[in-house]
Amino acid sequence: MLWLTFLLPVAGASALWPWPAIAARGRDPQPADEARDRWVLGVGGVTVVVATLALAMRAAVTRPRSVLEWGGGLILTLEVDRTAAVVAVLVPVVAAPIVAYAAAHEPHRGLGRLVALLVAFVGAMQLLVVAGDLLTLLIGWELVGAVSWALIGHEWWQPEPPGAAAHAFNVTRFGDLGLFLAAAAAFHATGSLRYADLGALDGAALHVVVAGSVLAAAAKSAQVPFSPWLFSAMRGPTPVSALLHAATMVAAGAYLLARLQPVLAMAWWFGPTAIGLGLATALTGGVVAALHPRAKELLAASTSAQYGLMFVAVGAGSTAAGLAHLVAHAAFKSLLFLAAGVAIAAVGSGRLGRMRLGAPLRTVALLTLTGTLALAAIPPLGGAWTKEEVVAAAGERAPWVALLTIAAGGLSAFYAARFQLLAYGPTRRDGALRHVRPPGRTETIAIGVLATFTVALGLLWIPGAGQLVETVAGGTLPEGRAWELVVSLLLVGAGTYAAVVLARRQQLATLGTSPHGAADWLGIPTLAQAAVIDPTLALCRTLARFDDRVVDAGVRAAAAVARAGSRLVTTLSGRGVDGAVEALAAAARRAAGAGSRFDDAGVDGVVEALAAGVGAAGRDSRRLQTGYAHHYYVIVAAGAVVTVVALALWA
Amino acid sequence: MLTATILVPLIGAVALGSARGVSERAARAGAVTIAAVPLALLIAAWSRFDPGSGRLFQLVEAAPWIPTLGVAYRVGVDGVALVIATASALLFTVSAAYPADTRDRPRHYYAWLLFLEAVSLGVFLALDLLLFYVFFDLSLVGMYFLIGEWGHGDAKRSALKFFLFTLAGSLTMLLGILGLALATEPLTFDMATLIRHQPLAGEGLRSSLVLLGLLFGLGVKTPVVPLHTWLPPAHVDAPGPASAILAGVLLKMGTYGMIRIPFAMMRATFAQWALVLAVIGVISAVYGALVALGQSNLKRRIAYTSVNHMGYVVLAIAAAGGVLAGDEPGRELAITGATTQMVAHGLVTGALFLVAGSFWQRTQDYDIDAYGGLARPAPALTGVTTVAAFASLGLPGLAQFVAEFQIFVGTFSVYPALAAVALLGVLITAALFLQLLQKIFLGDLPARWADFPDLHRSEAVTLGVLVALIVAIGVYPRWLLDAIAGSSRILIGGGS
Repeated sequence: MLWLTFLLPVAGASALWPWPAIAARGRDPQPADEARDRWVLGVGGVTVVVATLALAMRAAVTRPRSVLEWGGGLILTLEVDRTAAVVAVLVPVVAAPIVAYAAAHEPHRGLGRLVALLVAFVGAMQLLVVAGDLLTLLIGWELVGAVSWALIGHEWWQPEPPGAAAHAFNVTRFGDLGLFLAAAAAFHATGSLRYADLGALDGAALHVVVAGSVLAAAAKSAQVPFSPWLFSAMRGPTPVSALLHAATMVAAGAYLLARLQPVLAMAWWFGPTAIGLGLATALTGGVVAALHPRAKELLAASTSAQYGLMFVAVGAGSTAAGLAHLVAHAAFKSLLFLAAGVAIAAVGSGRLGRMRLGAPLRTVALLTLTGTLALAAIPPLGGAWTKEEVVAAAGERAPWVALLTIAAGGLSAFYAARFQLLAYGPTRRDGALRHVRPPGRTETIAIGVLATFTVALGLLWIPGAGQLVETVAGGTLPEGRAWELVVSLLLVGAGTYAAVVLARRQQLATLGTSPHGAADWLGIPTLAQAAVIDPTLALCRTLARFDDRVVDAGVRAAAAVARAGSRLVTTLSGRGVDGAVEALAAAARRAAGAGSRFDDAGVDGVVEALAAGVGAAGRDSRRLQTGYAHHYYVIVAAGAVVTVVALALWA
Repeated sequence: MLTATILVPLIGAVALGSARGVSERAARAGAVTIAAVPLALLIAAWSRFDPGSGRLFQLVEAAPWIPTLGVAYRVGVDGVALVIATASALLFTVSAAYPADTRDRPRHYYAWLLFLEAVSLGVFLALDLLLFYVFFDLSLVGMYFLIGEWGHGDAKRSALKFFLFTLAGSLTMLLGILGLALATEPLTFDMATLIRHQPLAGEGLRSSLVLLGLLFGLGVKTPVVPLHTWLPPAHVDAPGPASAILAGVLLKMGTYGMIRIPFAMMRATFAQWALVLAVIGVISAVYGALVALGQSNLKRRIAYTSVNHMGYVVLAIAAAGGVLAGDEPGRELAITGATTQMVAHGLVTGALFLVAGSFWQRTQDYDIDAYGGLARPAPALTGVTTVAAFASLGLPGLAQFVAEFQIFVGTFSVYPALAAVALLGVLITAALFLQLLQKIFLGDLPARWADFPDLHRSEAVTLGVLVALIVAIGVYPRWLLDAIAGSSRILIGGGS
C-alpha cells in the first residue's frame, strides 16, 4: 500500500508523458490542440497528485510499515514516522497547484514531458520520505536528483540548460557519496541498513554514518560550500524551481537530518557542525540574496539560507522547530517562485530592475505579499512563528547562536522586502511597463492556493498551537526567551525599513552590480572552477595522453625486450639442446621473419611480430583457418614445453 | 543440456561457414535463431538450478577425455557461472540481431559470431581447468577475426594487439593452471576437486608465483591498469556488435576466472595478495574513469569506463577473498555484487557499444564534439542512450546501481579506505556520461545532422530488450541476486 505513493505518480507520469504526441497523431500541433493538451495534462497531473495526497494522508494516520526482499540479503523498508508523515503530506499539497500552474503557464513544446516529470518527481520524493532504511533512502535520493537533472535541462535545445543540469547533478552526487559511505558503515557495523538499527552504532562506524549523512544533506540542501548548484538549477522552468528547488527536493537534506536526528546526535560533533553549516549558509545566503540582481537567484539564495535555519534548529536538537519551518517555507517559497515566474513572463526578463509590476498585476502582487511577509517573518504569518521557534531552539545552545540566527532573520526581512518592492512594487513613473502579459486564471488560482496555505499557517500564533506541532511532528519546542523575540522583531523591522529606504533612493535593484562579486555566492563558483573543476579536467586530459604514450609505451618496450630475449633464446636453442626447444625456436624465427616484412612501424615487439605472421598468412579467410591453427598449436606446444621445463627444474 | 548450449552454436557455426549461397538476410536470421538456442537452454537450466541446495556445482555433465592426466570433459554451473553465461547468451543473440556491415561475407561473419558464442559459453560452463583454458584461448581466435576482418580504421593492427596481449596473458595463466594442477595427488584438473583440496596451500613462494601467473593472465583479460592498453584500440576499430561482445562477454572471462580459480582454489594465498589486487582494482576504477573523461572519441570513452567498472569487480573479488574468516555478510555481498556487476555491465556497456556502432554506420565519426542536438532528429536513440548512460553511472532503478551498491557496501567491510576512494569513480562517471549526453544529444543541432536517422526497427527492438532487462534488474533484482547469493555463501565459506 505504501509503495503506491511511489508507484502511482510514476505510473501516472508514464501515461501523461506521451499524451500530446498521441493526441497530435503525427500532425503539426494546431492552436486548439494546445488548449486541449494543457487541459488534459493539468487535470490529469493534478488528479494523480491529489490521489497521491490521499494515499499519503492515509499513511500519515495509519503509519504503516512495508518490507520488500530485494534479493541477496538486501531488504527495502518503508516506514512512516511522525517526521515522514508531515513531509509525505506536504509534498503533494505543494505539488498540486504547481503542476496546475505548469500545465497552464509553460510553453507548449515539451509540456507533456515537463508535467510528467513533475508528477514522477512527486513519486520519487515520496519514496525518499517514506524510506525506512539507508538503501531505500539512497534510491529515492538519487532518483530525485536524476529527475532534477531532466527538469533543469527541460529546454535541452538551448545552449545553457544542459550544462547547468549536469552541474547541479554532479555537485549533489558528490553529496550522495556520503550516503553510500553511511550505508556501507552501517552495514559493516550492524549488518543492517534499517534506520531502526542505527541506534546500535558506536565508534568509527557511527562517525562515518553521521559524517556521510551530513555531507549528503548539506549538498542536497544547497548549504555552503555546495550552494551554487542551486543557481544552476534556476535554468529550469519556474514550476521546477518552485517544486524541486525550493519546496521539496532541496528540503531532503533538512528532512534527513530531522528524520535521523536521534542517531546523528549520538556523535558529539553533529550539533555544532549542523549549526555551523546552517549559520554560515543563512548569513552568506542572506547577503547573496540581498545583492543579486535577478529574481530567481535572489529566491534561490534565500532558499539556501532558510534551509540553513532548519539545520540550526535540528543541530540545536529541535526537530519540531526545523520541521515547522520546513513546512512554512515550502508554502511561501513555492508561492514566491510562481509569482516570480509570472513577473518574468510579464516583462520577458529575470532582472529585478525591470519589473515593478504592482499596478498592472495587482491581484498577484497582493497574493505575493503574503509570501513576502512570511519570508520576512512578520507576524501574524506562520513563517514568523516558525522562525522564532528556530531562534528559540538556537538560544537553547547559546545566546550568540540565537543572535546570529536573528541576524540571518534580519537579512531575510531585507531581501524579502527587496523582492516584493522590485518585483511587485509601485510601478515606475515613466510608465514603461504599461503593456505586460497578464497571468491566466489557472496561474492566479495556483498562486492563490499557495497564498491561502501560507496565510493559514498564521494559525500557529494561536496559543496552544505549539502543543499541536509537538504532537504532530514529535519532539519538543523550546521555550523562547522574551529578549529573543524583541531583538528579532527589531531586526526584521530594520531590514524591511532599509529595503524601503533604498527603494526610495532607486538603489535597491543595483546593489549587486558586479555579477562575479559577492552576489555570485561570494566567489565560491569561481573558486570551485579554479580549484576543482579545471584541475580535474586538466588531469583527465593529461592522464589520457599519459595512457596513450607512456603506459602503452611500457607495453611496447616490454615487447621489444621480449623480442631481444627471443632472439637470444633462438640463438641458444639453435645449438640444439633439446628437440622440443628446437621447435619453439623454429616457430619464433619463422614468425619474426614474417613480422619484419609486416611491421611497418617497427615498434611493436615479438608478440606483434608473431601474430603479424598469422595475419599475413590469413588474408584469405579459408587459408587463414588452417594457417592459424598451425601457429596456434605451435604456441600452445611451446608454452607447454616451457612449463614442463620450468616445473622440472623446480622439482 | 549444458553441453548442448556449447554444441548448438558450434555446429551452427560450422554449418553456416560451409553453406553455399546464403543471403545476408538468411544468414542473420539463422544466426539469431541459433544464438538464441543456448539462451533458451540456459533459461531452462535456471529453472532447474537450486540456489539453496548447498551444493556449489549443479547440472554437471562429464565424460572422460585424458584420464591419465586427470583431464575430463566436465561442464556445470554455480550461480555465478549460470547468470554470467545466460547474460552472455543474451548478448550474443542481441549482437547477432543488431545490424552490422558484413562486407558481403555474412556467412563468415555470423559463423565466427556463433563460434565465439560456443567457446565463450564453454569458458563459463567448464568445470575442468584445461577445458577452461582451451575455451579461454579459442575465444581470442573468434574475436581476432571479428575485429580484424570486419573492423574499421586500423583494424588488423588492433586485432593483433588484442590477440597477442591477451595470448601472452593466457600463457602465464596456463603456467599457473599447470602449477596448480601438478600440485594435486593424484593429478587432476577437476575444478570441484581443486576447490575442495586447495592445493599449494601454505607453500610460500611457489604458490605465490602460481597465483600471480593466474592473476596476470586474468588481469590482462579484465583488463586492469596497467595491462589495459589493448582495450581502447580493439574497441575503437571493432564493429559495434563485436565491441558489445568484447565488453559484455570477453572481459568477464577475466573476473569470472578470478572467482573460479585463484579466489576459490587458492584461498590462503589469495588472501595474502588480496590487498595488492584490491589496490589495483581501485586504481583501475579511478584511473579508468579519469582517462575516460579525457577522451573525446565516443568509443574510447565507453571503453575506458569498462576499465572503471571492471575495476570495481576486481576490488570486490579482492575484498571478498581478503580475509579467510569474519565479515561474512559483507564478503558475500561483495562477491554477489561483483557477479551482478558482470551481468549489469555486460548489458549496459553492450547497449552503449551497439549505440556507438549505430553512430559509425550513420556517420563514420566517433568524435563527441562533432555532434549536438541529436535529440531532435533521433529521439528514440536519445532515450535509449540516456537510459544506458544513467545505468552506467549507477542510477538507482537501473541495473548497475544494484551491483555497485553491493560492491561498495561489501568491500567496505574489508577495505573501508579503498571502498571510499573507489567511490570517487561514481562521481567521475556521472560527470563524463552527463557531458557525453550533453555534447551529442542536447544543445544546438549542427545543420549537417538535421537528417540524422533515428533507430531502425531492428536496432530499436534489440536495444529495447537490453533496456528492459537493465530496468528489470534495477527495479527488482531478486530473481537475479538470489540465484547468485547461494553460491556466494558457499564460495565465501570455502566449500565446493
